[in-house]
Amino acid sequence: MGLFDKLAGWLGLKKKEVHVLCLGLDNSGKTTIINYLKPSNAQVQDIVPTIGFSIENFKTSGLSFTVFDMSGQGRYRNLWEHYYKEGQAIIFVIDSSDKLRMVVAKEELDTLLNHPDIKHRRIPILFFANKMDLRDALSSVKVSQMLRLENIKDKAWHICASDAIKGEGLQEGVDWLQDQIKAMKT
Amino acid sequence: MAEGGENEAHAKWLDAHYDPVANLFTFSSCVALADLQGDGENKLVVGDLGTGLYNMKLKVYKGTSMVSEHTLIDLPTGVLAFLMDTNEPRTPAVAVASGPYIYIYKNLRPYFKFTLPPLEVNSVEQDVWNQVKEDKIDPLTLKEMLESLRDKGDVPLSVRSLRYLMLEPHEMEPFVNLHKLQPIKRQTVIACMATLNKNMVDEDAVSCLVIGTENMEICILDPEAFTIQAKVNLPSVPVFLDVSGQFDVEFRIIVACRNGNIYVIRRDLKRPRHCIELNCQPVGLVRVNKNIVVGCGKETLHSYTQKGKKLWTVYLPAPIMTMGLMDHKSRGLQAVLVALGNSEIHLYRDKNLINVTKTQDVVTSLCFGKYGREDGTLIMTTKGGGLIIKILKRTAIFEGKDTSPGPPLAQSIKLNVPKKTKLYVDQTLRERENAVAMHRTFQTDLCRLRLSAARAYAKALETSLAPVSADLAQPLKLNATVQGIGPSFKLTLNVQNMSATRPVIDLLISFLYDESLYSIKRSFFKVPMLVPGLIYPIETFVQCLSDRGISDTIKVFVLRVGTCSPLLTAHVNMPVSEGLAVG
Repeated sequence: MGLFDKLAGWLGLKKKEVHVLCLGLDNSGKTTIINYLKPSNAQVQDIVPTIGFSIENFKTSGLSFTVFDMSGQGRYRNLWEHYYKEGQAIIFVIDSSDKLRMVVAKEELDTLLNHPDIKHRRIPILFFANKMDLRDALSSVKVSQMLRLENIKDKAWHICASDAIKGEGLQEGVDWLQDQIKAMKT
Repeated sequence: MAEGGENEAHAKWLDAHYDPVANLFTFSSCVALADLQGDGENKLVVGDLGTGLYNMKLKVYKGTSMVSEHTLIDLPTGVLAFLMDTNEPRTPAVAVASGPYIYIYKNLRPYFKFTLPPLEVNSVEQDVWNQVKEDKIDPLTLKEMLESLRDKGDVPLSVRSLRYLMLEPHEMEPFVNLHKLQPIKRQTVIACMATLNKNMVDEDAVSCLVIGTENMEICILDPEAFTIQAKVNLPSVPVFLDVSGQFDVEFRIIVACRNGNIYVIRRDLKRPRHCIELNCQPVGLVRVNKNIVVGCGKETLHSYTQKGKKLWTVYLPAPIMTMGLMDHKSRGLQAVLVALGNSEIHLYRDKNLINVTKTQDVVTSLCFGKYGREDGTLIMTTKGGGLIIKILKRTAIFEGKDTSPGPPLAQSIKLNVPKKTKLYVDQTLRERENAVAMHRTFQTDLCRLRLSAARAYAKALETSLAPVSADLAQPLKLNATVQGIGPSFKLTLNVQNMSATRPVIDLLISFLYDESLYSIKRSFFKVPMLVPGLIYPIETFVQCLSDRGISDTIKVFVLRVGTCSPLLTAHVNMPVSEGLAVG
């Protein structure tokens, strides 16, 4: 870190950088959520299934986020664990209208939480119960029941109902995440 | 599903959905998975048999819920999804076989109905019915003519003639009047259906329908024009089909037939090349790579090569309900799923049992493939109409070795050998010291016993006391039972002739009893002719006269007319009368 950077940091001009992992099954809306959070000039119109992973940046009032937007397809899911070490927070996206694969999401979440790189770190997890606009979507309460989120005792977690196309609920979640990270740093 | 923590960690399947009241009554041949709307999510198409008489439906499921339902006119025998053209988007058509028709649905709308071409009609039968139309012959002559045709004709009769032959005389006239004006025709029914790629290997290639008919034929249909492109005759009715290859290049059809044989058909042959004879009826047929795995009715699973060489046999703990192929392409896993009658799903790779899954009910249909967005989904319907969806875990690894238990549990149970006490040891010591005296005494006693037994036997023979006749010429058996608590009893005598072929006649039955104690209505009567082998129950009523709780023996004699010594005797010890004696 150069002298200028340090100076900017003290003055609050340069924001602290946080690495976030964005995980979830395929077709749950991870890329769409990240896209919505990006500054409006950087947003893309067409969102295609992610291959492997992509790195995106967005800023909030106090922090600068670097997001690893992972592909959720079955064959790429074993890539996730390679980035667990870098992650300082996790965004886990769930398609709340896909009742059938809720067990798969739960299975992936359990594997994530039991991974040695994650298990003993107190990192915040933000869940997005996405696709709330769909008619047969489950409520965020129901989603947290089905994923047994109440069993997560040693990590701060929060679940938000969201609609990533309109952007509803995203800001609330990111604000919570920012507060958690700030609380951790101090 | 209630599983222990230990089990859950090793379970290979995630329970995605269980609906016990889905009301799906179907078989594996009527279940298909396809991306019907071209949106990347596979739907489940089920031909529901309903009750078998009504309520036949074509149901389409997306995720955990049903999205549409179409009424079917007849019982579906096969449901398939196949691509019939190269138009974009590549949405497959659904083919439902029922009766002699194949209904094609595109975008879940009725699109086309294919009818099997009618079969050739017996010309003589045609002439006979023509004459009936002109009122030249009466119903009875018609019946006679049709019967003679049925017995010697080489072309079978039409359904109408067969129905006519079943009718009662008074129903014939109206039946003839109703049907005589319509032309006579003979149709066959589709028994099974499969798809065959036309000229490409790809998953999304255009494919032809392959149909097996009750007329013992395999027909291959053109995917666009629905004309019969090839036809192969079989020696029996096909029930299970497995198709591989491409129609234009080379293909192989493995057919399991109702006569318990498996035939292999190749492209250039007009007759089946190889025949595998099973020792019982096939209940499922799956091809794994180049080998055929067939489930048999005797709780066995056999594997053959396509040339008919037997590879292995596995004995199962319960009868097979249905079978399916588990082909997980992304992991290169090919295995055979077998649903058993004890609500278990066994998974076999080669001859090794690699996984056993318990289900909530007996599974009647199995389908493994991509459902929704998940590649390894197993969809099952149960006997009670439930729907079970399981998803293969991403981390599940199937070990190559057999997971079936080794030696039976009974081997580890200790034998129940009784213990010996000091008493036994003392006894053996005494035996060792006095062996000679013991032997002598015992032999003397044995001689005496023999003598007294022989005496008693001779005495019984003289007086014919035994209830089994000793006379070889008249082998008879008698036993008596008493029913009731008194003062009236029912006395039943069961008399049986034991000879092989000779009946016995002229027998009498007489009772001997204390007349002050009992009264019997008929104490002397004739026995009917005894046919060999049958037991004749002969009942009489005995009245107890004493009121002092005295019981006595009643003797029953079976006598032959003309001789005075009884053939057999039974002694009946009457129970004490518990009721008030009749004064």
